[in-house]
Amino acid sequence: MLRLWPLRQISRLQNAISLTQQACNKSSVPAPSPELVEVFVDDKQVFVEPGTTVLQACAAAGVEIPRFCYHDRLSIAGNCRMCLVEVERSAKPVASCAMPVMKGMKVKTDSPVTRKAREGVMEFLLVNHPLDCPICDQGGECDLQDQSMAFGSDRSRFTDNAFTGKRAVEDKNIGPLIKTIMTRCIHCTRCIRFASEIAGVEDLGTSGRGTEMQVGTYVEKMFKSEMSGNVIDLCPVGALTSKPYAFTARPWENRRIESVDVMDAVGSNIVVCMRSNEVMRILPRLNEDINEEWISDKTRFAYDGLKRQRLTTPFVRSGTGELVPADWESAFVKIAERVNATDGDLIAGVAGGQVDAEALIALKDMLNRLGSESVCTEEKFPMTNSGIDFRSNYIMNTTISGIEESDLILLVGTNPRLEAPLVNARIRKTWINSDLCVTVLGAPVDLSYDYQYLGDSFELLTDILNDKHPLAKGLKEASKPMIILGSAVLQGENSGAILDTVKSLSEKLRAGSEQEDWKVFNVLHTQANQVGALDLGYAPGVDAMKGSKPSVLFLLGADAGTVKREDLYENALVVYIGHHGDYGAQIADVVLPAAAYTEKDAVYVNTEGRAQIGRQAVSPPGMARQDWKIIRALSEMLGVTLPYDKLSDVRARLGEVSPTFNHAGQVEDAGFFNLSDSATVPRKESRPAVQPLSPALLSLRDFYMTDPISRASLTMAKCVQAVDDAEKNPYSKPEQS
Amino acid sequence: MASAVVRLAGRLRSCARLVNTRPMSSATSAAGSTEAALDTVEPEHKDITITVDEKMDISSFTGVPDEHIKTRTVRIFVPAANAMQSGTFNPRRWRMEFDERQRWENPLMGWSSTGDPLSNTEVNFMSKEDAIAFCEKNGWDWFIEAEKKPTPKRKSYGANFSWDKRTRRSTK
Amino acid sequence: MAGIARIAPSLSASICRGQSLSALSVVARTNTTEAKKPEKTTFGPLKDQDRIFTNLYGRYDFGLKGAKARGSWYKTKEIILKGHEWILKEVTTSGLRGRGGAGFPTGMKWGFMNKPSDGRPKYLVVNADEGEPGTCKDREIMRHDPHKLIEGCLVAGVAMHARAAYIYIRGEFYNEASNLQIAINEAYKEGLIGKNACGSGYDFDVFVHRGAGAYICGEETALIESLEGKQGKPRLKPPFPADVGVFGCPTTVSNVETVAVAPDICRRGGEWFASFGRDRNRGTKLFNISGHVNNPTTVEEEMSVPLKDLIERHAGGVIGGWDNLLAVIPGGSSTPLIPKEECDTVLMDFDDLIRVQTGLGTAAIIVMNKSSDIVRCIARLIDFYKHESCGQCTPCREGVSWMMKIMHRFQTGNAKRDEIDMLYELSKQIEGHTICALGDGAAWPVQGLIRHFRPELERRMDAYEAQQAARN
Repeated sequence: MLRLWPLRQISRLQNAISLTQQACNKSSVPAPSPELVEVFVDDKQVFVEPGTTVLQACAAAGVEIPRFCYHDRLSIAGNCRMCLVEVERSAKPVASCAMPVMKGMKVKTDSPVTRKAREGVMEFLLVNHPLDCPICDQGGECDLQDQSMAFGSDRSRFTDNAFTGKRAVEDKNIGPLIKTIMTRCIHCTRCIRFASEIAGVEDLGTSGRGTEMQVGTYVEKMFKSEMSGNVIDLCPVGALTSKPYAFTARPWENRRIESVDVMDAVGSNIVVCMRSNEVMRILPRLNEDINEEWISDKTRFAYDGLKRQRLTTPFVRSGTGELVPADWESAFVKIAERVNATDGDLIAGVAGGQVDAEALIALKDMLNRLGSESVCTEEKFPMTNSGIDFRSNYIMNTTISGIEESDLILLVGTNPRLEAPLVNARIRKTWINSDLCVTVLGAPVDLSYDYQYLGDSFELLTDILNDKHPLAKGLKEASKPMIILGSAVLQGENSGAILDTVKSLSEKLRAGSEQEDWKVFNVLHTQANQVGALDLGYAPGVDAMKGSKPSVLFLLGADAGTVKREDLYENALVVYIGHHGDYGAQIADVVLPAAAYTEKDAVYVNTEGRAQIGRQAVSPPGMARQDWKIIRALSEMLGVTLPYDKLSDVRARLGEVSPTFNHAGQVEDAGFFNLSDSATVPRKESRPAVQPLSPALLSLRDFYMTDPISRASLTMAKCVQAVDDAEKNPYSKPEQS
Repeated sequence: MASAVVRLAGRLRSCARLVNTRPMSSATSAAGSTEAALDTVEPEHKDITITVDEKMDISSFTGVPDEHIKTRTVRIFVPAANAMQSGTFNPRRWRMEFDERQRWENPLMGWSSTGDPLSNTEVNFMSKEDAIAFCEKNGWDWFIEAEKKPTPKRKSYGANFSWDKRTRRSTK
Repeated sequence: MAGIARIAPSLSASICRGQSLSALSVVARTNTTEAKKPEKTTFGPLKDQDRIFTNLYGRYDFGLKGAKARGSWYKTKEIILKGHEWILKEVTTSGLRGRGGAGFPTGMKWGFMNKPSDGRPKYLVVNADEGEPGTCKDREIMRHDPHKLIEGCLVAGVAMHARAAYIYIRGEFYNEASNLQIAINEAYKEGLIGKNACGSGYDFDVFVHRGAGAYICGEETALIESLEGKQGKPRLKPPFPADVGVFGCPTTVSNVETVAVAPDICRRGGEWFASFGRDRNRGTKLFNISGHVNNPTTVEEEMSVPLKDLIERHAGGVIGGWDNLLAVIPGGSSTPLIPKEECDTVLMDFDDLIRVQTGLGTAAIIVMNKSSDIVRCIARLIDFYKHESCGQCTPCREGVSWMMKIMHRFQTGNAKRDEIDMLYELSKQIEGHTICALGDGAAWPVQGLIRHFRPELERRMDAYEAQQAARN
């Protein structure tokens, strides 16, 4: 009965706050405009905006129209004919997906004509479909299966099966991620449209015509895209399925856990499919603010890295220098012996980019109680001027969905296509649907949309600031300009100059802008919880920590290799708390096995500053435990027991430290713009040399393995291999433009 | 115990509705010892109905062990739609789920085992208020995950063919 | 093919039902402006002085000199200077209906282009992709009288404020494209088209675009796609080409014959053109007669000429005599066939052919006498449609190939009697459910066959069954 009533009330309070906020959000929806079109769907009156399609009007009326080729996020094709509906005073049934509504239109979605049309189309689709559902991976989540049950005939008339059989199509090899069984294809062209519209890779298309029409790449080559896996979800049949997931599970066996991704700083919402304590696959989850309904290939396919190279038991380095398996107690004792003999100043902690907020706060609280203030992240961020004092200095202020409002984007030292594929997809979407102009300071990489490449020197940036560059005028004239600064360029020496210049430029634009709430400045991080760590008071970068030569160092999931033994006090004790046997574990004296992101209920803050809750899908393997619990237990051993026993207690503590964590799923607005801007003092004229503004990830090859999980993933290794092979393919478009 | 849970799960919906729609008809104040309340409700069949604006707490007699009441957090959410385009009705309901507990592989058959009897409860509600009321009644901590709805987009078939626009499609 | 263009969507569904429809009633309205005069009851033969295409057989020079001698480019400037409204009025008065098959009133169609300009240029696209089996009228115009077409482009272009005309010519028509190009070069040289065409101050260009020989590219929206350099796969309507057409600009797609007769209508007056044929089926028309006739030919005749007259007079009669006639496909391969009984009396125009549940189409008459295997003929046609289906939409892609499989079994009789009804139902499932009219065009021949030759199909099935029984 350890109920901490006050804390519980806090959580109630949080709930109440979030509820009222939701209510506010709802009321902020603009009132429907007066010139709505009246449409009757099955005699039910609905009012929709002019230009809406019949299918959307039916959806507004609560009637679902069956469809194969139509997809909400793709352009309209109108070729499957499944969505035919009868419209009064129309000689033929009309394709509701493409037909715009007209005034007084009377749509009949359940009339004999409509039903007959659907049944006919369904029969035709099934004529050349192999019906190998029992061995098809799509079985159970197949649109064709579902809709043939709902709208199809109850028996087959395809007697010709006995005479000529069905069409058979050769399978195609389009890479290590997507398995193709092209005989099952119903030619809805969703994959083609996804590739050309969302991914921006014109690799897929149709060849041949009539029954000989095939969807494919024409010549065999890899479907080279960082978000290619989405075609698996898009495919309404089993023609495109997941290669790594093939024949491993059925959708109805899987337990679906709604979680959050940590492979990049976007924080894509995902569904982790689990069966018998094993992650079977990862799917996207709808969130219009972040990832819409796409996820990147790394998010989707790196999960097999969760099963390899895992730390399943504590290790202690023996006298001979080897890590030998130990139990928790002896590992803790070893740490306690050393920590108790060490001055607090000589204890430090370094956190990696994927560590959850609970673990971060636990480590920080523990070290603080031990008398140490030295907690930092591996990822750097310049501390010049106002540094990280203001939250607006290090988050994506306009938010990801804000990209859609922007009319000019300046990318500085970032390759969003590989650092945050979904941010890039959002830019591409905006670019397609509006007159968005994109300019790039960095590397001339393929971003899947046209942009103006300015160069990679720092001087260009100062020129823009000082109105010496033609872009300065463009930025000034843009109504909603955005500057996205990649965190990769902030890792180098003297990166403060870059940050300051971009800040000053943004401030100038923001001050000159007529848009009241438009925030120009954005930082695009690459590490999942970097913003969370900064929110919790971690110092960015390990340089300061190295200066103090700590003698006890806690590495919390720190695997980027920023700390070396040489940086530490001689014979320093390095404790690694993490889930993979990667760089951190190698240099550690004591290794404490922790949980990966699918194994813990945890909060991550994405690059927008949006705290999101990831859910535990499976149990940590072996003796591994959740990070904050390890630290909590260790703190007891070290005599500085942390005051939280339950997850809700930790969450309450998070809320005390930073308001970010009070409203999961929402962006905590970073205020104090004026303050932070005025704190940006123009730098002196003598500038230190700044390296070129080139992002770290340049080609698709670099994309796949960036963190301990993806480095341990076999699938990701195959992708790297496939990209290398594709480079040798004479038909493959060279990646660098 | 297990049977109690199963029975409970079967009636959850009706229970939830009961609480929401009908004020408790109990002459005594519903707070305090619930065992006593149970005893006293039945005999006192009077014509007067006193509505008590007090939250019902049935956690002490549902048969759910204390550890599964005091330590559990319920997430109330609208389940995400699956990858299919059809079947849009499912994601309209609210659902509750408990925090995940330890699972292990059963050495005998290799099946996955869990010591958590609540992990398999699946209760749907028509509204989040229903779900909240149900959790309150059972004494569970809860939090709500905001519903994620797709925003309708204006689309035009003609945009595929417009000239000088980036919406133009070159492939088929 | 001017092939598929002819079956306008609104018309197609009703052709087989034999109902009059909204589009036709519109035509009736346009014709009420005519002065009341006694309606003709006999049609044809056409007098020589009333012929528009006077070099149909290539006996004279196709070049500019010869064309001018035959009356082309005569007072074209005056026609242009009379303005687009006058041209539209004449074309409307003439009662001209699209010659590509659908028979949409031309005056009205060109009138759609008169919406105020939003800055986009407007285009005329001439559908010279004549791919319909049996049809060979446009090629005769293009190889023997190309100046008629070019002049027509200019007149039609003026009528719809078009900036340029694109003539999409079938890839196989090498000589035709060559003659056409020569004629265009001549016209440019003479200043008849190009900047300040005919000295009228109107700028108008004509381009020839050669297709790659796909039948489907004769469908107007597929033609537009192909013209833009994409796969020739039809678009849905709306948007209609008059709104979003070639290169995203307002476009009208017209058949070669429709465009080519426009100058003569303007020169001789709409009234003159309207004096031929029955009400709502005005004018003269090129008829192609092929198949089992003694003298296959292309001939210009008055509309509403009786089918029998046409065959007997111009094509030398059916091989083996009129009584040896089995069936006729009256409007190119995609219209349903009609048996001999109907052929005796039917008039060759839109309405009368609808009455007998077929259509005028491109007026390409395919005659089959009793020596022909009618089931095989239709099976062969379905082979063609299966081969030419673009594969974009489901009913056509899957349905036509299934129909083909069944038709081939019907040919040998290897089928059950109830499959005839099934086939009919399949064809109904395709018809009207596709993006373009190719599906309809594939379904109709089968429907015609089943409608008129069901006993023949059943006979074959019985024979096959007996043969199998004897074998076992």
